[in-house]
Amino acid sequence: MRRYLLRKLGIYALTFVAAVTIDWMIPHLMPGNPVRALMARIQIQDPQVAQHVYANYMRSFNLDLPLWKQYLYFWASLLHGDLGTSIMQFPSPVSSIILHALPYTLGLLVPAILLSWYVGNKLGAMAARRKVLDNTLLPIGYVMTATPYMWFAIVLVYVFAVTLSWAPVGLAYSPTAVRGFDTTFIGDVAHHWVLPFLSLFLVSCGGWAIGMRNLIIYELESDYAHYLEALGAPQRLVRKYAFRNAMLPQVTGLALAIGAIIAGALVTEIVFSYPGLGYQIYRAITNEDYFVIQGIFLFIIVGVLLANFVVDIVYVVVDPRTRIGMEGGGQA
Amino acid sequence: MVTRRKSRALVWVVVAAVVSLMVVTVGSGGAGASYKAKQYPRAATLITSGTQWGNIAGMNPFTHNWAPGMVGLVNETLLRYDPLKGTYIPWLAKSAKWTGAKQYTVLIRPNVFWSDGKLFKGGDVAFNVNLQRFSTGQWNNLWQNIQQPIVVKGNGLIIFNFKTTPNYVQWRNMIWNMPMISPVQGKSITTAQQLTTYNPHIPIGTGPYKLDVHGFDVTTRVVWQKRAHWWAADQGVAPSPAPQYIIDLVNTSNTNSLSAVLAGVEDLNNNYLPGVNKLVDAKKVHTYFDKAPYMLSANTAWLEPNTTRVPLNDPVFRKALAMSINLDKIVRDDYQNLVLKANSTGLLPSWNGYVSKAAVKQFGFTYNPAAAKALLLKNGYKLDSSGMIANKDGSKIDLDISVPQGWSDWEAARDMIVASAKDAGIRMHAQVKDFNTWLADIQTGKYDTVIHNPYQIADDPWTYWNGIFHLPVITTGTGQTFANYERYTNQTAWNLTQKLDKTPPSNTKAIKALNVQLQTILMKDLPLIPLWYNGIWAQMTSKYWTNWPSSSGLQTIPCMWGGYLQMTGIDTITHVKSTRAATSAK
Repeated sequence: MRRYLLRKLGIYALTFVAAVTIDWMIPHLMPGNPVRALMARIQIQDPQVAQHVYANYMRSFNLDLPLWKQYLYFWASLLHGDLGTSIMQFPSPVSSIILHALPYTLGLLVPAILLSWYVGNKLGAMAARRKVLDNTLLPIGYVMTATPYMWFAIVLVYVFAVTLSWAPVGLAYSPTAVRGFDTTFIGDVAHHWVLPFLSLFLVSCGGWAIGMRNLIIYELESDYAHYLEALGAPQRLVRKYAFRNAMLPQVTGLALAIGAIIAGALVTEIVFSYPGLGYQIYRAITNEDYFVIQGIFLFIIVGVLLANFVVDIVYVVVDPRTRIGMEGGGQA
Repeated sequence: MVTRRKSRALVWVVVAAVVSLMVVTVGSGGAGASYKAKQYPRAATLITSGTQWGNIAGMNPFTHNWAPGMVGLVNETLLRYDPLKGTYIPWLAKSAKWTGAKQYTVLIRPNVFWSDGKLFKGGDVAFNVNLQRFSTGQWNNLWQNIQQPIVVKGNGLIIFNFKTTPNYVQWRNMIWNMPMISPVQGKSITTAQQLTTYNPHIPIGTGPYKLDVHGFDVTTRVVWQKRAHWWAADQGVAPSPAPQYIIDLVNTSNTNSLSAVLAGVEDLNNNYLPGVNKLVDAKKVHTYFDKAPYMLSANTAWLEPNTTRVPLNDPVFRKALAMSINLDKIVRDDYQNLVLKANSTGLLPSWNGYVSKAAVKQFGFTYNPAAAKALLLKNGYKLDSSGMIANKDGSKIDLDISVPQGWSDWEAARDMIVASAKDAGIRMHAQVKDFNTWLADIQTGKYDTVIHNPYQIADDPWTYWNGIFHLPVITTGTGQTFANYERYTNQTAWNLTQKLDKTPPSNTKAIKALNVQLQTILMKDLPLIPLWYNGIWAQMTSKYWTNWPSSSGLQTIPCMWGGYLQMTGIDTITHVKSTRAATSAK
């Protein structure tokens, strides 16, 4: 077990270095110069002053240095926990931007992913053995999954917020809400949370259900299931084993979904004006804000690696084949 | 019957939901804040949006990154400018004028107090102007021409003496745009770098509002709270604003803004909302004009040719290109008459007094694709095998035109320009570029033509001429970041622009003559092709607030954009009336 973990940790460390390097490289390969864009916004009328201000900003962001030096500075800052300063939101530190936005994304995405995963898998498993469900829930699941999310979310806003006024049109809380850790404010936050949560939950749920339904059917048609049936094992036992085996790819899928949480948040946060990390990364990319892009992608990298590491551990627990293979039992 | 496993799952669902809400609540600043009230009183709160995209960076008035409303509501200027009347409004300064060819004198109002209770003095003005000594100061070039020390007499008289002929226009522009910051906070600025990183937690100002620090959420909103005393109300200079709070919301998209306006969430929205004319016609929202063009004009959108490239380096070709553009169609079909067609000078309607009708009649262009084609053929351009215009040497012409991807109104206009140019035999094609690439290409000259609108309304057309004619063209470092993106080299025009800046405002005859000369050069050479005037987009609702600006009523600017509050935006704020107050009065 120790060797297995050390090997995995080594692989993750290497992956981290490579991913962070790419994370640094990609924004720098984008066309354009963010400081020039900043200058265009400031609109200084005198060319000499403009040159001074430009030089000052270039120096502030180390963008006047050769790329290799910028790369080394990046690692040095990173190891000191400094993610840099935002260019477009100058002089806000990137870490502060992430910390402000993170709770919104986590609060919305984590329950949506976990609950849709749980409910979707349950529904899919049930649909695999009940014709009525298979003919009713699954088609709905197909429709939900195939629906362009952006369109679906906008329809939800239009129907429930603009037309019926059952839900707010956007934001994480009412514009006039006085923030406080009390029931009124929590209720207000919940009111704003429901619609974006539902939009994510419904769409994801359909996907998980379809996946699980197909996996269960596949497992039920496999040799071991037929063998068990031939031995006279009860249907319930066969389905239990089929469910356990079908869960394995779904666990991997869950890990990837949690790791890629930011990508999932992007459209939701834009449509519902939810001020999380997805919206921040969208703004950062459109404004070429190198350091915010790097900071948020770093967060994604760490998220994906951690989620995968957890799945590796979980696999050891839930999949006997992995456990046996790790102990050398699988070797010929 | 609920089984044990199902009830366990249900518990998990509830726990997950509660934890999520707690995470969001804590993250949004809920924890730690203690209040008596649960909501800002809606009837006393003005909600605005349309200025801030992305997180609010902070409270630095020197980086164009300040929280919406800070300059105007908190930090005020010495003068203001009313572009609708073309007049300066004495504000913190009771008077500010040229008292000699090289002398400018400011007399500030007595009994103006900073929000920390200290008296606003003449020395504070000198302090603020002297902050421009740093090389990163926006007006550093003007500061360099001031003789030091700045003369301050008593508590209220400030005399600026200049070393050489002042840049009259730029100086005056600075006086109504430079926000006064408190020396108590500003003294922390001791280097050029610190001028850009200055970011007070709670800005001290002389204005009618102060930051409600507990309501401020960089991701969502800034909340301004009315001060108990404000000099302008106390001295009868302006009404005391009715809104106890002003909340400016961060934008996410125009679609969301439209939803928020329709749902009555926002009282004043300054986004471009396509098709808002239908909502105005249906009496759901107000705009400044109740019919076309609905909006006041903010800036000129023009077709910017790269004048260093063939055939765009030829004024005749540029003229033909201008004649090929069906502006009426763009205004009607693309904008649904939400904008005005620009005249041939491109000067905004607020500068109509500078437009020479005779020059426009003689040198202006009108839509006539047949005449455009004939003009090109007459001047040596050839026809290629497909009947399209070719260069004089017979080589093919195929101009690219780009706008930032996703700017749907400009994309539609681009396609209309391509289509109408074809009628004149000019082959053009749309080039799709994201905003950064589009901007970088403009700054570095890697384009044929773009639609662009870099200059906002100002007190003097000089900013407009400077934007067009500024020399030299910078090819390294910053590139062209503030002027002459079209790379037009005309030393005469640049000399006239500089002369205009250095002409005393009292010499109105010379100023008028210089403006006529400059617009004549523009129309003859067309380094830029004026298209339409983008609006000061402003949609207002009357659920909570009335007495909004309109062409038939209060003639002020309904806008929270940076630079607009010190025009007459603040007058909009001080004149809105609560509908609740109106109801109770009845």
